[in-house]
Amino acid sequence: MSHVDEGLLHAYIDGELSAAETQGVAAHLAQCPACRGRLEEARALIARADELLAMAASPDRAAPPFRAGDVKPPARLWWKVPLPLTWAATVALALGIGTYLGEGLTSRGRPVVAVATDSTMPRVPAPTPAARDLVERRERRATAPRPAPTSPAPAPTQPAAPAAAPQLRAKNGRMQDRPDQEVAVQADSLAAAGRREEVRLAAKIAGSSAAEESAISIDSARRLLGTDPLVVPGLPIEAIYPGHALGYSGVVRIEQVLDRNTMIEVVTGRAAPAPLSEVTTAGRARADSLAALGPKRAMAPAAAPAPTFLRAPALLLEVRGPLSPDSLAALRRLLQPLRP
Amino acid sequence: MPQDLADVYRTTYRALVRFLYRKVWDAERAEDLAQEAFARAVVHKPENARGWLFIVAANMARDEARRAVRERRHLTLLTAEPQESTPASDHALEAESDRTRVRAALEALSPRDREVLLLWDAGLSYDEIAAQTGLARGAIGTTLSRARRRLVEAFEAGKSGKHVARG
Repeated sequence: MSHVDEGLLHAYIDGELSAAETQGVAAHLAQCPACRGRLEEARALIARADELLAMAASPDRAAPPFRAGDVKPPARLWWKVPLPLTWAATVALALGIGTYLGEGLTSRGRPVVAVATDSTMPRVPAPTPAARDLVERRERRATAPRPAPTSPAPAPTQPAAPAAAPQLRAKNGRMQDRPDQEVAVQADSLAAAGRREEVRLAAKIAGSSAAEESAISIDSARRLLGTDPLVVPGLPIEAIYPGHALGYSGVVRIEQVLDRNTMIEVVTGRAAPAPLSEVTTAGRARADSLAALGPKRAMAPAAAPAPTFLRAPALLLEVRGPLSPDSLAALRRLLQPLRP
Repeated sequence: MPQDLADVYRTTYRALVRFLYRKVWDAERAEDLAQEAFARAVVHKPENARGWLFIVAANMARDEARRAVRERRHLTLLTAEPQESTPASDHALEAESDRTRVRAALEALSPRDREVLLLWDAGLSYDEIAAQTGLARGAIGTTLSRARRRLVEAFEAGKSGKHVARG
């Protein structure tokens, strides 16, 4: 073996060589006085460097106790995380949304949401499969008591707002898990009735929570939406699921196979928020949890109706998948109604 | 999962503060950032929490540094002025000036050498450092040896008032 180079020597002292490498180095050192000398120099250097670093250590204070339940998602900085981490930030938003909303969506969530949903702007990259998995795992926990299958969808001609009630009732079992958070989402998305960003966000969350719903037929999907759901033409449809968008009468999630490894989801929602009165009479909100939102927030929906939004047949659309935002946007442009 | 994170917290929190402190040079800020990193971990539940935490921490510290530059908050590094306005003990003064000198020496390193050195000092393995910095695992020893040598050299040079060029 030739002489041991400096890097190898440091790795040797650091105990970071494999067993075979360690043996090789040791064998050479045993028969090479020059390298043994360098070994001692390297040891001294490492000791000195460690000593210097210790001088520049922070005052050693005990770690505060760790209480996971108390930790709130950070309110600042995260959107500045460089690109490789932005998908994680997106997931953070989705997962932590209850907490965020509890403190007011308008101040924190909005800029983010605008980025995430406006297809004309560069979008936050879609969660990677791993991230999706995280979302789903969490949702699975949250939805442990399975809600009964959604009752038959209302006729398309019915006004959208009252139609939301049976659906919401069907979700009661689920709501009991986290009533406060869900109500916060509800109230806030209503408060923002005119703002499609929040609306879509709500649909997004609801979409993921529907991960375990049973599949429905295309006819049921049509009934649910009151119109033809949108799909990317030419791609095989894997399954159609009903989604529960909070405050919306119908959301349909269609999974389409892009290639052997890639599934995209097209989320079509009938955009028609329910008034708050419907929500409370449907028994979703506990009185105290609603009161906890404060009078100001609870009043907001009544003060800010969005008639154009209520009447418009506007669909909310979302294409999701483990693809770059560009690719998803391109797919989105291909969307066509799925005609019978 | 939360239990795992609690374990990671116990074993990694102080290392993370140590790592961050050498980047932001403010104990409280370092602790804040470390807590923030853990708060994010609670939300994200990353698979490799430890590595993830250091990546997030490094990003946050970089962000801090950029802002510091923007705000023209340049500190005179080599003047070894005590920061306390109250009279400090000799011992504290000495510790402070040592700290300032080490800081200056660290900042004389190339960013990559410094990063590797600080990650190693925070207790990360070669594998973890390689994963975080994108360096080949085999290059870590060489990088570390160079970083250590330059740190010691820069520190000694600073002590005798000379300036050691970066590179």
